[in-house]
Amino acid sequence: MSDETFITLLVASVAVGLFVVASVSVPNFFQPLTMLNLVTNNWAVISLGVGVTFLLVSGNFDLSVGGVVALSGVLAVWFAQSPDGANPLSTGLGFPTWLAIVCALGGALAIGGLNAFFVVRLSVPSIIVTLGTMMVARGIAQVITQGSQRNTNLPDDFGMLGNLTMFGTSVKLPVVLMVILVVVAVFIEKKTVFGRLTYWAGENAVAARLSGIDTAKHVTYLYLFSAAIAGTVGILLASEFKSGFSNRGTLMEFDALVIALLGGVAIAGGFGSVVGMFFGALILAVVTSAATGMILSPDWQFILKAIAVFLAITTQTWALAWRHR
Amino acid sequence: MTGQQPSPVLAVDGLTKDYPGVRAVDNVSFSVEQSTVHCLVGENGAGKSTLVKMLTGALRPTSGSMRVGGSPYEPSNPSDARAGGIATLFQELHVVDELTVQENLTLGMERSRFGFLVKSDLDDRVVRTLAAIEPSIDPSARVSTLSVAQKQIVEIARAASSGASVIIMDEPTAALSEREVERLFAVIRRLREADVTVIYISHKLDEIFKLGDAVTVLRDGKHIATKKLSEVAGRAELIEMMIGRSVLQTYAPRSTVTDETVLAAEGLTSELLKDVSFHINRGEIVGFYGLVGAGKTEIARALFGADRVSGSIRFKGQSVGRSPKGAIASGIALVPEERRTQGLFTSLSIRRNISVMNTRRLSSGGVFRSSDERAAAVEYVQKLSIATDSIEKYAEKLSGGNQQKVVLAKCLFADADLLLLDEPTRGVDVGAKTEIYDIIRQLADAGTSVAVFSSELEEVLGICDRIFLLFSGSVQAEVTNGPDVDPASILNVVTGGGAHAVQ
Repeated sequence: MSDETFITLLVASVAVGLFVVASVSVPNFFQPLTMLNLVTNNWAVISLGVGVTFLLVSGNFDLSVGGVVALSGVLAVWFAQSPDGANPLSTGLGFPTWLAIVCALGGALAIGGLNAFFVVRLSVPSIIVTLGTMMVARGIAQVITQGSQRNTNLPDDFGMLGNLTMFGTSVKLPVVLMVILVVVAVFIEKKTVFGRLTYWAGENAVAARLSGIDTAKHVTYLYLFSAAIAGTVGILLASEFKSGFSNRGTLMEFDALVIALLGGVAIAGGFGSVVGMFFGALILAVVTSAATGMILSPDWQFILKAIAVFLAITTQTWALAWRHR
Repeated sequence: MTGQQPSPVLAVDGLTKDYPGVRAVDNVSFSVEQSTVHCLVGENGAGKSTLVKMLTGALRPTSGSMRVGGSPYEPSNPSDARAGGIATLFQELHVVDELTVQENLTLGMERSRFGFLVKSDLDDRVVRTLAAIEPSIDPSARVSTLSVAQKQIVEIARAASSGASVIIMDEPTAALSEREVERLFAVIRRLREADVTVIYISHKLDEIFKLGDAVTVLRDGKHIATKKLSEVAGRAELIEMMIGRSVLQTYAPRSTVTDETVLAAEGLTSELLKDVSFHINRGEIVGFYGLVGAGKTEIARALFGADRVSGSIRFKGQSVGRSPKGAIASGIALVPEERRTQGLFTSLSIRRNISVMNTRRLSSGGVFRSSDERAAAVEYVQKLSIATDSIEKYAEKLSGGNQQKVVLAKCLFADADLLLLDEPTRGVDVGAKTEIYDIIRQLADAGTSVAVFSSELEEVLGICDRIFLLFSGSVQAEVTNGPDVDPASILNVVTGGGAHAVQ
């Protein structure tokens, strides 16, 4: 069994263990709807986690995803609002919905391109670059919404994508897209050359270069890939709420990072998996949803996240050391 | 050396160091007189660095004793050595670029009160020491603005001002220009006048004759001789002592060498390389032999496109040398000098290491064909007899020799027509060494060209058809291997004796 399989199994069993504990100790927790909600309520963060995981494996951070969620949502709304509004916040560019979405995605990709440019071409540490672009993206969103939100004068079809329910159930389109994304990402990671390049680049950048790998190009793709996911999430959220809100997605970049770390992805690069990240998300979801609102007040959620992160990282370090002793 | 006291500043007696299966230093006894420059020479693997590590406390001797200034000396770590008055100038410099010269000189010796630094006589002392050995360095200058040679002198001044009576210098001129070497020699002579003893390790025999008072020769871990240099009858005698008759001639002429040129390099020039030109034929094993810093790795990296140099490199008629990716695409593969940091993905399995240079061979439409990938890994593990129970084993968990074989497998998998092997058997056990040599010969017999970049004479004489001798960045001579090749004359050339007969 490889270290990766070992860590993934460890994370998965912790997730299951916590779930069992919560089911036994929290009244009304063990219900089909609660279980489904664990996943469906977290579709946005899990989706962002996919891009963040790939980047971490390649040895790079992406803290800009939360900002991109806000930016693309606000852009989509602004582009789609009709140009004849009564006040500035209800006046947009009057694009048809499909064009507004395409252009908003373009804005998201521009942030991804900016990340790649600074990290790859100018060799600025990615944690600093993406901290900067996180503020750039949210800053632009804030200017466009004048620090508030745009939610009027939108065409009716704007709210369709985010609220479309699938297969005659209450499961919405974004959740289905998230599941497809995770499955495709696992396939890319395990089976394709693209996935393997991510590990090679992150595990040993020098050896990767001497083995003929264009690490710069690959990391550029990963940043664009991550920004595209974040842009799509932002547009779907804007559609669901029929509003573009500059504070949407606040702290989501940290949640995406946290679930990747809980899932055993190494900050140093070269190690981790999307499946691990997914179970990391479940751990976080079980802990926060079981405890907050059922035992403690929601004000405790940060404390609980902090405890979960510290425990998870310590356990993994200890477990790997134990394996290698 | 008139008026010298007979009491030695440093004496070693019966010093021995055993590693599992190897005796690196074998019953070595000699002594070093005070205020002399005492040179230490020997081929790679002669035991010089092990000896130095014992002197500096980095290694504990298996048996034997050392005395400094007449009293027993048993360092168990580098700070014991410093307390005993022995300082070392390593090849990698240990200066802090962001601090000034003066701050570097007092680093670790600062006086403080309540956490604040206070001025002490220390500052004056270090400035005086520096002024005495090299007045041209400004104590208030940032170290980052100094040249490598000046940084080295700062380090020497630090050692001298910390009260060291013996300074060990390991290949201090490897990265210096000729003028800088002269300046360093002046510094060393001034140190000697100031009653400091210098133990000087170098491969460059000219330097030893120029600078040294006495020389100790090691060979295969054993002490061969300690002599005053005035009693040594020139380079020839020194070389004779260094190699003895130990160079094994296992080379057998190969019949598959063609005279069809595969690679031609013209006028390669960089900071180190000086107008290097050569060609490599199809099916030929070419050696590049030289000491540390002679330019072997630089040539290998230039051919592979890892570093840019001026000059032209033509491979099979096409211009190459722009990027590793381009080199691999045109059929060149490199086994780099440092396998762990430059060659291997240590936390990935053997299987996931092997395909990296040629993913197309195992994938269709960007998706790996799992069964082909496993089959390829199994094939190469068998072909190179990599000792492992599974292709899923992490590269990290393999022995040095097997790790090197994985790097080799990676390059072979690229189906290259020219293999560049930089120190292919460094840190590899004897068994694996022989296996790697066999693989190299088989490849060349099958028409692949191989360039071996090595600092081991036995290695290039054992497998190479033709050998280029390098010294300080230029090709000094070309030798066609055969039974009448004289190791002594080769050693003479690569230690700076020029391409003439040994005098």
